[in-house]
Amino acid sequence: MSNFRRFAFLTAIATYLLIFIGGLVRVSGAGLGCPDWPKCFGRWIPPLSINQLPADIDPASFNITLAWIEYFNRLMGMTVGILILITAVLAIKYFRKSPVIMYTSIFAAFLVAFQGWQGGQVVASELEPIIISVHMILALIIVSMLIFVAQQAYYLEKPSEESGVEYPAKIGRDIGILWVAVILQILAGTQVRSQIEIIGARYPLLSDKLVLGMIGWVNYLHIILGVMVIGYTFHIVYKLLGKGRSLPVWIRQAITGMAILMGGQLIIGLILILVGTPELMRVLHLWVASIFLGLLLLLFSAVRHSKGGVDAA
Amino acid sequence: MRPERNTMSPIIWGMLFMLLAALGGALVISQASKSRTDLPILWQVPEFEFTERSSQPFGLDDMKGKISVVDFIFTNCQSICPTMSGEMAGLYEYYSESDLVQFVSISVDPARDTLETLNAYAESFGVDDDRWVFLRAPIEEVTRLCEDGFKLPAGDLPMGHSNRFVLVDQNGYIRSYHDSFDQNEIEELKANIRILARSN
Repeated sequence: MSNFRRFAFLTAIATYLLIFIGGLVRVSGAGLGCPDWPKCFGRWIPPLSINQLPADIDPASFNITLAWIEYFNRLMGMTVGILILITAVLAIKYFRKSPVIMYTSIFAAFLVAFQGWQGGQVVASELEPIIISVHMILALIIVSMLIFVAQQAYYLEKPSEESGVEYPAKIGRDIGILWVAVILQILAGTQVRSQIEIIGARYPLLSDKLVLGMIGWVNYLHIILGVMVIGYTFHIVYKLLGKGRSLPVWIRQAITGMAILMGGQLIIGLILILVGTPELMRVLHLWVASIFLGLLLLLFSAVRHSKGGVDAA
Repeated sequence: MRPERNTMSPIIWGMLFMLLAALGGALVISQASKSRTDLPILWQVPEFEFTERSSQPFGLDDMKGKISVVDFIFTNCQSICPTMSGEMAGLYEYYSESDLVQFVSISVDPARDTLETLNAYAESFGVDDDRWVFLRAPIEEVTRLCEDGFKLPAGDLPMGHSNRFVLVDQNGYIRSYHDSFDQNEIEELKANIRILARSN
């Protein structure tokens, strides 16, 4: 049972790494590094030189660096897909009496298979922003499911882990509101990014900072909502950690992690606004938000699991 | 002391994991960026001084500081020139917000392409500013610039001119050639212009 929990947790970490690599593919312009799918330039292993290109492919479309970045993303995607499939098989084997864990794991496996196919659609659409955003949101759903099953397996292992823990009143509602706000923030962020790409294509020689200034209300909404999310996060952190409250160690770790991530997100947000939109910061901005979302889910499930949590509130 | 260390260690490991990922990410982004900026420096455009349709002289010095897309055409050409100039007009419109990119069309038929003829030709493609210039010079000088400077065929002018666009950087160096009839190459030309603009 604990092996399953550890395996699902490690798979979630691998999925987070894949989300980061996916973001790198987007900002480095490697999305069409392999113009075909599932092969890359008609080969299962990308060409190592222009001489290995099939005769019917225009050599001008070949960039070995971008091809290998995209290929590595696909390899990593396949690895994560296999890990999630194993998670589902282990869940079927060990958690037949826990349908929530078993069916969530199976659903995650189906979803990751769909995600693999949808990755092909990203290439086929020649990087249509909406299709890329769907690809990213699916990844967030999958990683949330993995965190959920790992946590539920933990509670089966240690049923009394959360019993007797006194969370502040209405903290479950607060965490739920913050979770929804972060989701809205991520959606607004994808719109900002799409606008950057659209305006960048229309005015190709403008600097990123000028492009950011041309986006308009979505960008302002993203900034204002971002400030509110930061404030609300620290309000929740204070409520949970204040007044010497006794919480399980891993819950304290999750709360501290949330505070650190939100502090980091504040710095990254300021860099994006003041410096322009450096590629690495764009990736980190979304990645930190996705990890933060995972920690929120973890905390929300913990509060719900405890007797003194949401129910009491 | 021990419980404190246990409390912080997953957070420290998590931060290390993210730091390593960020370092790896920075490396990947810089390699990807470098792979796209590997535009070879081919040849220096030689000194020349031709006449622009506005009667003003135009030479290599007018190309320096700007990214130039150069082609060789003539106004009586009924075969490839309308397509070439149509593509050039598309690029002229595409970069309408920027003064950094200019377009240079050089007549390979100066006997018939007077300044008035070039003016009419420019207006027919909607040219209303000096971002797209039209040049003429004696045919010997045009042939020399075409063959020796831009390394394009000029054996049978005006008919035998190339359909290629030549990308010249801000320092007057030829960086790439693009078939004006191939949309993929036009896209590649745009990508190369962006690279040169970013290195400005």
